[in-house]
Amino acid sequence: MVETQYYIALAAILFSIGAVGFLTRRSAIQMFLCVELMLNAANLALVAFSRAWGDLLAQSAVFIILTLAAAEVAIGLGIIVAIFKKRPTTNVDVLSSLKG
Amino acid sequence: MVVFVILAVLAIAGAIGTISFKSGIYSALSLVGTLLTLAMMYVTLHAQFLASVQVMVYAGAIMVLFLFVIMLLNESQMSGADPLPWVQPVAIAGGIVLAAALAFTAFQFKAPKNLETATAALQGGTPGAIGETLFTKFLLPFEAVSILLLIAAIGAVSLVHRQPAHNEALETTSEHATDNAYSDETSSNPAKVVA
Repeated sequence: MVETQYYIALAAILFSIGAVGFLTRRSAIQMFLCVELMLNAANLALVAFSRAWGDLLAQSAVFIILTLAAAEVAIGLGIIVAIFKKRPTTNVDVLSSLKG
Repeated sequence: MVVFVILAVLAIAGAIGTISFKSGIYSALSLVGTLLTLAMMYVTLHAQFLASVQVMVYAGAIMVLFLFVIMLLNESQMSGADPLPWVQPVAIAGGIVLAAALAFTAFQFKAPKNLETATAALQGGTPGAIGETLFTKFLLPFEAVSILLLIAAIGAVSLVHRQPAHNEALETTSEHATDNAYSDETSSNPAKVVA
């Protein structure tokens, strides 16, 4: 049985990759994908800790987080599409003005 | 351990693909690979219900939504110079430091219980076991998140909603209908005048 530490370390690596991607990508959609990656790394850590403590509460929390992620994606992609209607780009460097 | 190493390598490869591909579709498909390996990892962690939900909701619904939007917007490749070219090396260095620090902290973790007995308490993470926790201790968050999903659905619809008055398809058909009516009158009227 693999120790919990290895799962947490993997979650840390995935989270860091997601954070690097969020900082370096310039397309709003790809930044969004990196946020999803970071969320999943956090989920992996929660599930690993759930096994370490033998407690199902963490797994229920992951279920709630999955639902939150679905809601977040629906709204976020909706906002990206709404912006794209005004300005046909998803480059966040171009979309730097707050006035729309 | 062998299974874990294989899955970990696949997950990291998918994650690196997600952040390094220029094309949005390749990025999204790499992320699907990572999500599927994470689902397999949930099975090895005795979270069977979460593994199936991960495949259905994440790799299925959410990523299909992403692919739909990427194809709908059909964005071209990013052009022009990066206005902040120093961000990339700094971000990569910072990411390596972050990963090292978090991984170091992870190895400070002392297992609070014997792993065998703790795993037995999970009952395999089956839907029945999860549902019991979800509908007793997590009842309020469960109801709150259901309201949140409803709000998100309404919000998404209102964000991309087009006003019915500006519906081009309806307007053009009704205009054509009135145009035809007018042209009928004008074409019949001269005939009456002549007659």
